Amino acid sequence: MREALYMIEAEEIYVVPDFISEGYFTQEVIPRELELTGPTTRIHGKTIHYCDPVGVHPSMTSLILKRTDEVAPGVPQEESTLFIVGHGTGLNKNSTKAIKDQVSHIKTLPNCRFAEVFDTYMEEPPFIADWAKMATTPNVIVVPFFIADGLHSYQDIPIMLGFEKEEGQAASQKEVFRNNPYALHNKTLYYSAAIGTEAMMADVILDQISSFDANHSAPS
Amino acid sequence: MSLNQTLTDALNRGMSQIGQLRILQNPLRLHHLDDSDLEALEIHTDPDDAREISLYSDDGNYRFTKGELSLKRGWLFQLENIEDLQRTIDLFYPASLGLWQAHQSGTIRIQNLREKLNRQSGMYRHARNVSDQGTQELVQSLCGPSNKCVKKILWSIDKHLPLEDSEASRFNGIVGEADESTAIPMVCQEACNFFVAEARKKSKAEFEDKPA
Repeated sequence: MREALYMIEAEEIYVVPDFISEGYFTQEVIPRELELTGPTTRIHGKTIHYCDPVGVHPSMTSLILKRTDEVAPGVPQEESTLFIVGHGTGLNKNSTKAIKDQVSHIKTLPNCRFAEVFDTYMEEPPFIADWAKMATTPNVIVVPFFIADGLHSYQDIPIMLGFEKEEGQAASQKEVFRNNPYALHNKTLYYSAAIGTEAMMADVILDQISSFDANHSAPS
Repeated sequence: MSLNQTLTDALNRGMSQIGQLRILQNPLRLHHLDDSDLEALEIHTDPDDAREISLYSDDGNYRFTKGELSLKRGWLFQLENIEDLQRTIDLFYPASLGLWQAHQSGTIRIQNLREKLNRQSGMYRHARNVSDQGTQELVQSLCGPSNKCVKKILWSIDKHLPLEDSEASRFNGIVGEADESTAIPMVCQEACNFFVAEARKKSKAEFEDKPA
């Protein structure tokens, strides 16, 4: 990361962590490596503004809803349960908070017609593996709340959902995301790619910069 | 001086290489050092294509360190201007031009290895326990053109302990037979995260080998 400053000629820099939540990396590693001392740091002839990670911005909600439309086009929300899946870890409660906040926000939207919206996790309750017991609707839409597709979204979560076998090979992106929908437990399940792969993430990054400026503007 | 100007001046002085990249002028083009038949190469005009090209080597391995001597062949960038050339080079070799410029001007901030290892935390905090001999062995097995990287190492183990003489410590950051009159050297101002990860493994191995 310390090399990055050498390729930037602008005097003013905004750093936006491409992370799903606050945690060890955003609170310790990145500030240490970039030698940040607070929200704004003046160092090596630059002014560096340190923004919040993308995952905590309210505009992530639009990405989630866009994903549900893309992966399950035309499927009535009233007959669908939306599951947002996170990793879940006892090490940092911030990661589950980001997802719980999204669920709360989606439920309060006036145009939200999902029968149910749940936050679920790979490694802590409520477990995504229990989706079939939690969903009472005929349709289920699952959106992994991860920055990128990888082992969790390609292999671990499909196994937990039940459409991949544990002893099978790790699924490629083509196979996992293009075989929708899946008929499981008398329901129709739609599985999307990780939320961080949505093209609108670029807008969330810009939104975090705007939020930084709004929250740190000098009093007039 | 801007990086654009630094690059323009370098090209005007006859420099035509950085890492495994050959730079051609009139018109501006960029191709792999080992490719000579330009007609057979796949044409690219968007600098951003360099990101994809540099991800994997020809044998499908992920290129974690961008300075690795394993850049894919078979492509030719036809570029509009010096800004596009700078962007393409920065995508193949991140910050290489800025680091060279800083090195030339004496403003580069060198981090010795012990400083880098001592600030690691979490699962990498044990990397700091690797022995001095262990660090020398790591440099010789990870750095330099025969191993993972073709950058010139500017750092020492710490301010009192230089690198032992080896191919890695002697390497000048230029691939092949060119010299600094025609090639921009790639420089390394601090050990990379790959090195830190290997230092952690070595530290663990040293600990397990210690007599009880």
